[in-house]
Amino acid sequence: MKNFRDIENLSAYLDGQLSESESKRLKARLESDAELDSVLSDLSSARNILKFLPKRKSPKNFTLTRKMVGLKPPMPRTYPLFRLATIFATMLLVFSFSVNALSPYVSFSAPQFTFGFGSGGGGAPAAAEAPATEEAMMFESAPADAAATEAPAEPLPQSTETARTTEETPKPKEAEPETFAQDSAEGSENQVEVTNEAPIPFNWIILFLVISLIGGLSLYIMRQSASSKWK
Amino acid sequence: MDEIALIKSAQQGDLDAFNTIILHYQDAVFNTALRILGDEDQAQDAAQEAFISAFQSISSFRGGSFKAWIMRTVTNACYDELRRQKRRPTTPLEPETNDGEEIDSPKWLEDKNMTPAQKAEADELEHAIQHCLDALPNEFRTVVVLADIQGMDYSEVATSARVPLGTIKSRLARARLRLRECLRSFEELLPQTFRLNEKSR
Repeated sequence: MKNFRDIENLSAYLDGQLSESESKRLKARLESDAELDSVLSDLSSARNILKFLPKRKSPKNFTLTRKMVGLKPPMPRTYPLFRLATIFATMLLVFSFSVNALSPYVSFSAPQFTFGFGSGGGGAPAAAEAPATEEAMMFESAPADAAATEAPAEPLPQSTETARTTEETPKPKEAEPETFAQDSAEGSENQVEVTNEAPIPFNWIILFLVISLIGGLSLYIMRQSASSKWK
Repeated sequence: MDEIALIKSAQQGDLDAFNTIILHYQDAVFNTALRILGDEDQAQDAAQEAFISAFQSISSFRGGSFKAWIMRTVTNACYDELRRQKRRPTTPLEPETNDGEEIDSPKWLEDKNMTPAQKAEADELEHAIQHCLDALPNEFRTVVVLADIQGMDYSEVATSARVPLGTIKSRLARARLRLRECLRSFEELLPQTFRLNEKSR
């Protein structure tokens, strides 16, 4: 039995894969070595017998259909644009519809939030500002009063000035309650309006609905015509 | 058939062009799968899978021998099938007569040009060779099928099997050696011209 290197060379020799010099060397060895020659003829028989295996004809055609390979008909260029617009319009439709449906519940459960939000906002800042103004007035008048008590012997013009200031201070105080009252009245009117009106106008919802329907229909027609052309 | 033009069209998604290529290669692909798997139904499945996979990945074909490329696809499909078999072994259903006996030579294998005796002999020889092929390890069997049955050269086999040229040379020698040993047990079936040499025993 020959070593594997010899067998590998014999196998390659049969396939014509040896270089010219290697082939010559092997041929020379084959002439002198009967065992090597015998292995060569065995390998040759084993190789050739495989070539005599009957070639079967394929029992069916393996041609592919578009369905088998998951091919889809080519769509027009505008198809993605239509699809995007339709999806966007549908999302807006759902969103606006939900907002409108939920708005009464939201305003009833949290009235103070609705009051300060949007239309009724005028009253709240005014009410919040009023005490600050009042305090500022008081801080302004306080040093003047203190000065008056600390230095009663000072010249008259300054004390009259202080007195004038103290007289003037009540004026804004009188004006404030009116403004506050007006603002709060406006605010309550607006609140009534807000609760009655939908946050997103009905016309918009209709518009979104129309876009969604037209878009969906266009997509369907595009798909049908593309697949009918493809067939 | 302008193969290059058809391949280019198929790469652009032209299924009809690819189907023309399929018609040209389907017998070679089916026979390769049949000799690697040793079962006609499995070979059909593997061939079909190979063609689907080939179409889906045809853009990855960058030139060279298309036969080697398609054979690589079919050998991959065969390996997948063999792995599946290993996970879930099945018993093949042999065709039976009305009495429940297995039919050795099913009707669809019949060759009308042969006498019944010749037919039986040819079938036996084919079974013997297939038996010896099945006894080889998968990687040896693939190499021997591609080189000796499909007649591909070493470089094409190396492309198909994705192994270096030296490995092909070595595997082929080992496979032939093992085939020779296996075929000795079927000596009486072999035609006179293919009888193995007594001296080398």
